[in-house]
Amino acid sequence: MQISPALWIPAAALGAAAGLLVWQGRIPFRYNVRNLVVRWKTTLLTILAFVAVNSLLVVMLAFVNGMYQLTDNSGNPANVVVLSEGATDESFSNLQFTDAGELENHPQVARRHGRPMCSRESYLVVNQPIPDARPGRPERRFLQLRGLDDPGLSAAIHDLQLSDGGSWFSPAGVRQLPGPGAGSPDSPPAIEVVLGEGIARELGRDRSDQALQAARNRERLEVGDVFVLGDRPWLVVGVLQSSGSTFDSEVWAKRAIIGPMFGKETYTSLVLRAQDAAAARELKEYLNLEYKQAAVQALLEEEYFASLSQTNKQFLFGVIFVVFWLAVGGACGLMNTMFAAVSQRKRDLGVLRLLGFARWQILASLLIESLLLGLVGGLLGCALGSLCHGVKASSIVSSGHGVAGKFVVLVMTVDVDTLLLGLLLSAAMGLLGGLLPALVAVCRRPLEALR
Amino acid sequence: MLKDLTLNVPEGDFLGLMGPSGSGKTTLLNLIAGLDKPSEGQVWVGDERISSMTESQLARWRTRHVGFIFQFYHLMPVLTAYENVELPLLLLPLSARQRRDQVLTALDLVGLSDRIRHRPGQLSGGQQQRVGIARAIVTDPTLIVADEPTGDLDARSADEILDLLDELRRSLHKTILLVTHDPRAAQRADRVLHLEKGQLVEQPEVLHEAAGARS
Amino acid sequence: MMLKNIRRNLIGSLVIVLGTMVLVPVVIFVWSILAFLDAATDEKSKNFKGIVTERWRLPSQMPFAYAASLSDGAASKPGDVKPEDSMTWQFYGGTLDPEKRTRENSLFAIATEPRKLCTMMDELDTLPPEEAAKLDEAIQEMERNRQAIIMGQDRLAAVNKRVGERIKLYGINYRDLDLELEIVGTFPEGRYDNTAAINRDYLLAALDAYERQTGKPHPLADKTLNLVWLRVPDSEAFAQVAGQILASPNYTSPAVKFETAASGIASFLDAYRDLIWGMRWLLAPALLFTLALVISNAISISVRERQTELAVLKVLGFRPWQIMVLVLGEASLVGLLAGLCSAGATFATVNLVFGGFKFPIAFFGAFFIPAEALAWGVGVGLLTALLGSVMPAWTASRIRVSEVFAKVA
Repeated sequence: MQISPALWIPAAALGAAAGLLVWQGRIPFRYNVRNLVVRWKTTLLTILAFVAVNSLLVVMLAFVNGMYQLTDNSGNPANVVVLSEGATDESFSNLQFTDAGELENHPQVARRHGRPMCSRESYLVVNQPIPDARPGRPERRFLQLRGLDDPGLSAAIHDLQLSDGGSWFSPAGVRQLPGPGAGSPDSPPAIEVVLGEGIARELGRDRSDQALQAARNRERLEVGDVFVLGDRPWLVVGVLQSSGSTFDSEVWAKRAIIGPMFGKETYTSLVLRAQDAAAARELKEYLNLEYKQAAVQALLEEEYFASLSQTNKQFLFGVIFVVFWLAVGGACGLMNTMFAAVSQRKRDLGVLRLLGFARWQILASLLIESLLLGLVGGLLGCALGSLCHGVKASSIVSSGHGVAGKFVVLVMTVDVDTLLLGLLLSAAMGLLGGLLPALVAVCRRPLEALR
Repeated sequence: MLKDLTLNVPEGDFLGLMGPSGSGKTTLLNLIAGLDKPSEGQVWVGDERISSMTESQLARWRTRHVGFIFQFYHLMPVLTAYENVELPLLLLPLSARQRRDQVLTALDLVGLSDRIRHRPGQLSGGQQQRVGIARAIVTDPTLIVADEPTGDLDARSADEILDLLDELRRSLHKTILLVTHDPRAAQRADRVLHLEKGQLVEQPEVLHEAAGARS
Repeated sequence: MMLKNIRRNLIGSLVIVLGTMVLVPVVIFVWSILAFLDAATDEKSKNFKGIVTERWRLPSQMPFAYAASLSDGAASKPGDVKPEDSMTWQFYGGTLDPEKRTRENSLFAIATEPRKLCTMMDELDTLPPEEAAKLDEAIQEMERNRQAIIMGQDRLAAVNKRVGERIKLYGINYRDLDLELEIVGTFPEGRYDNTAAINRDYLLAALDAYERQTGKPHPLADKTLNLVWLRVPDSEAFAQVAGQILASPNYTSPAVKFETAASGIASFLDAYRDLIWGMRWLLAPALLFTLALVISNAISISVRERQTELAVLKVLGFRPWQIMVLVLGEASLVGLLAGLCSAGATFATVNLVFGGFKFPIAFFGAFFIPAEALAWGVGVGLLTALLGSVMPAWTASRIRVSEVFAKVA
């Protein structure tokens, strides 16, 4: 359980300061608690406002966390991604078949069973009609296909594994489905595919009621299930284990089949596994600066996926914008509550001054009260917002250039940093909202307070 | 508000201050108790010139040397009788046990040992004022100032409170300053001073002192 | 009496005003985005546009040979329906610095027929006269000079150039196809701030020149046509044109599809469906809820502090419902005015000062606050004030005079 220093330092400082104030402030903490309990309706309304703000923050950050996890988890430091020079994304890249042969034999490329670890890939985005779309749902979807020559090798390079019961597609990449008309020109063989876990769920959801009734798994497509694309049946032969990466949203098939089918006669990318991370960096430098046989550009796979987090940053900015204004609104509510409290307890505070309590001690007591409101609301809000942890949501990650991007299914993630941020925000709202009323209270002369 | 006023109060004295509304008696009380500062002149209590203390020095001095009794009691409604009396002790370097002993002693003195867990809302006016008195004496102050302590009480409760003040003076030798409109309350004092328009008009036993005199 | 009470309870009123003015703009931002996306995906029944793209693959890359017949809706025999208007799009991406390409020194331009910019492009076909005249001038220049480029204002600023300057773009997606262009104008502020448009004749000529110089066609020569827009008068015409295109034997490699613009946009937005759902059903309600709570709290406190006054009103003969209306009225008045002012300020600031706000959904540039936002602001301010003040108003109407005066005594 890791907490970012940027968060635990202010959190620890806040906790220490609050503890010190309570201890040194001398005004009993139970005085603050009981005052909040006595005015329970106002206390409840204020806390609810904090719950609303905090839970919303947690949910929105969970979404952004999910996006960052996807882009952060989608790269191996020893992998080098090779695209054609100038391509901003795999979709726009074109590498000739001959390029692959030259590149994969570089000495820095690792070998497996004597073969260079080079994944030859053609990435395509295809428009799939959804015949059984539910009302209100679009009738088309963008499906991300990755054509591969050797899926087992590609999976090893991308650190992916098949779920139990599945297999890779055959060298032919197609299989005749049993049934009447099998083998006839009107009944072409099915294209064998391996699905990412996320897209298996997506495709599974958009089946007709009839198909769902008969399905072995209503939640997703399984091995043996068939879907239609491009007027051909596609047969699921395996489902990848969920990796929390963009590969969860992809459909893998034989490149030699789907490339010509969709008009892609080149590779879009080569992914080379180097001996280690240092070798990967050397290989990348070599390809970018020295290799002249073909116009290519090389990136470390981590860099490639990191570049896709541009949308993450934009969403994060949106979250900050919304939460900032929500927090201001919530702090206004707290300010009013504290003004009322200070007004009602004018005499109490005057007596405390008369008894010898210093201004700063009374200020501290009032701030601790508003901080308590904020923290209680914050804790409840964090608890409510945490319910979204693990929920799957769809989005796009992109580098922000043009419209290219990867359609992804992310897992909303509530981590300790998110909860801590929520609590710190509540604390800040509590302190800022309570500051002005507290200052007004302590600036009043004790004698005036008693009149 | 107060004009050319010189006043000497011996230790252990029970002094009554009377006068019409706006005569300055509360102002005088506040000066003596260190709640206000004179625009001119000096105020000495014991060996300390309180009129030249800073606000924080006055606050610390008040904790140790002054006990207040208010007309409307001014107890914290959310704290119990025990907790109200304990409040001034929190500012002193005492252990929890020491605080407990002093609080129980003070509540016993005012006859409320069986009400320590009651909140002000659960006490009668007279009982609340007793708690106020216990709070005023719990730090063993030099001086007790009472501003209309019986103003909000019925006659019987008022008598009880005044009896208590008498007892405190006799047994604890406290110097008591009592501001009151009530002649019966004033009768309990050793001597009574009258203020009118900021000036003492009747000071039968006052020793006039030049600036710098101590009491 | 309502106005006097608002003045008396200044802090409470200020809190309601501040809370409303802070939260209403955020609600308006969210609803503006949602309203725009809903409008973009609403199927129209008359005078709408459809898009022809590759049937399967994205990005759509069709041979330019498709352009002429597709622009006619694949009409080939008597009785076939032709679209009212058409426009082709070819995307050209280029950078000013091939050695060090950055977002700032790159741009993506739409290569099209210049005249179509003002007849077929959304919002550019409905400009106010002054802006339309300015754009027309630039278009005429582009018709005269096929090496002209019109740029969005943000993109112009990003590449640090001015109208009248010449630039050389080094091809990104069209490798080794560099274009020399002259900036002849800008798009009006708004949706096309980050877009550029060039004359398609120039791009086609460049492709031909490439073939002449290298002896072979450019790799993208037969994939240069990305989109064809067709305007049709109604759904019936759309269906007919769609049928003509599907049935035509001319579009097999690659196959094409014809869908409404709304449908195309809806497909794109599907990836954002969870985000849009969250904005519509979590974010906006939470904002309204928070605002109602803030108001409710403020009014509750105000009622508690004015218990004596409200008890006196009862003594004087005011009935419970009148007291309730008094409290509701105060809150509503403050909420309504604050909501209206807030919405007005948001509208003016975002649209007139900032020229729209950017939110990263799909390919949309800037979002604008629609005029309806003024009504939204009033509605939100009024509704949240009413909802927030119902309970406190009810409590106020139920004040028991004897209890209040017993406490005072």
